[in-house]
Amino acid sequence: MIKFFKSIPYHTKTAFKSIARHLALTFSSASAVSVTLTLLMVFLVLAGNVSSFTYSIEESLQIYATIENTLTQEEITVLQSEIEAMDHVVKVTFSDKEQELESYIGNNDDEASQRLYAAYRGEGNPLLNAFVIEVDNGNNLETVSKELQDLEGIYDAAYGGDSVVMLVKAMDGVRIAGGIFVAALSVLAIFLISNTIKSAIYSRNSEISIMRNVGATNGFIKMPFMIEGMMIGVIGAILPILLTIFGYSYVYNALNGVLLIPMFRMQPVIPFAVYVSLALLATGMIVGMLGSFFAVNKYLRWKR
Amino acid sequence: MISLENVSKSYKNGVNALKNISLYIDEGEFVYIIGPTGSGKSTLIKLLDGEEIPDEGKVIVADTDVGSLKHKHVPLYRRNLGIVFQDYRLLPSLTVFENIAFAMECIGQDKLSIRRRVREVLELVSLEDKAKSFPNELSGGQQQRVTIGRAIANHPKVLIADEPTGNLDPEMSKEIMELLEKINEKEKTTIVMVTHDSTIVNNIKKRTIALEEGYIVADIKKGGYLKND
Repeated sequence: MIKFFKSIPYHTKTAFKSIARHLALTFSSASAVSVTLTLLMVFLVLAGNVSSFTYSIEESLQIYATIENTLTQEEITVLQSEIEAMDHVVKVTFSDKEQELESYIGNNDDEASQRLYAAYRGEGNPLLNAFVIEVDNGNNLETVSKELQDLEGIYDAAYGGDSVVMLVKAMDGVRIAGGIFVAALSVLAIFLISNTIKSAIYSRNSEISIMRNVGATNGFIKMPFMIEGMMIGVIGAILPILLTIFGYSYVYNALNGVLLIPMFRMQPVIPFAVYVSLALLATGMIVGMLGSFFAVNKYLRWKR
Repeated sequence: MISLENVSKSYKNGVNALKNISLYIDEGEFVYIIGPTGSGKSTLIKLLDGEEIPDEGKVIVADTDVGSLKHKHVPLYRRNLGIVFQDYRLLPSLTVFENIAFAMECIGQDKLSIRRRVREVLELVSLEDKAKSFPNELSGGQQQRVTIGRAIANHPKVLIADEPTGNLDPEMSKEIMELLEKINEKEKTTIVMVTHDSTIVNNIKKRTIALEEGYIVADIKKGGYLKND
């Protein structure tokens, strides 16, 4: 084991030398890796943002619970902390009936209606005090709202009904489909990269048998090739990473962080672009290393 | 040092390369293997260096049963051997110096002794001025000398040379032969040399083993080429 670690600098040096001396080969395989990783990057960014959209849509779903008119201010405060203590409840905002009326008036554009509703200001306000409740997950809207309806002092609780439940289900579906798509594409990327590396090593399979001829053990032969494969993966990842960081922040800034409507909030550049970059780097390195490991293993077996 | 007991080898395509060969070569001997194309010379070398496994019989080199070696142990066994290939088999992306050093690096020698020994070897094969050249910048004779240098770098017990003079002019061949003799005498290395070159066999007389169609047809201790009559 100690011998293994001691030999790493030697093998690394050998790998670098080999990269430098097979510059054309290194360049061509690294650019093939680049293309594959760029493709992967585009889909990672898309999937990441679509999933973020679905979450922000879900977060915007709220329960609107009206409060019985008979409750005093203290009772309302007690009720609010009761609701806050419920499972899945993230945030409870109290809105008294004056605020409700003002926002109702504000929703009307024409002055006639505004004047009409303004007449209800004060004692004649027919609206109820209300809580606006945010839940942790769209799937819990229904349960929470049912529990709310059973609460003493709550007049009614509404979240939009079946159509909202379906929307939440649809969002789940979008996320799962995106995940499967990215996973499938990752498998494809792994296959493409390891094949690139394999063909690069194929052109050097005579070297492998020569090395065995002069007494190099299989491990000794494999190490520099694995490091080289890793380096090719890293070199190939550079361009896609730059593209991620600069390209994504350019798009993000150009669109002010939202796509079309404010509800479609894009993933913030940091940490999202960093995560994507790290994923690309790791894919390049690990796949490059394993790709050359399997390729060398294969060619080692060709000759005794 | 080398012993073959009733060794037979045939290939999948039906060629019977060696038929029931028995052979014994002592430590420090210098032996020529001669014979026409297809007589089994290359097969004999492949059996000795572990590239092929005998169908029958045993190949023992330096106390190792070569045929029963595991795939991963073959390179370890080859460290006892220096092999000079007719097609040189130099690593194309390494310089002359690095090619010779590689054989020593893979058995874990330290840097200093590698550098010292490679210089020594380069001097022995008269290639001091080509240390930094790549194989494709050298002539055939020079490449051949590099392979000889690489083969002897680790002080092998046995040196196997497959037509080391095959691609060389007579002048160069003579030099290579002098080099091999020097190695044989100085380092007491057992040398098995496959050759076609009747001039060499007749002029520098060594034990000569003649193969024909997979059989040993002659084993002449005092040497000299077979006269086909």
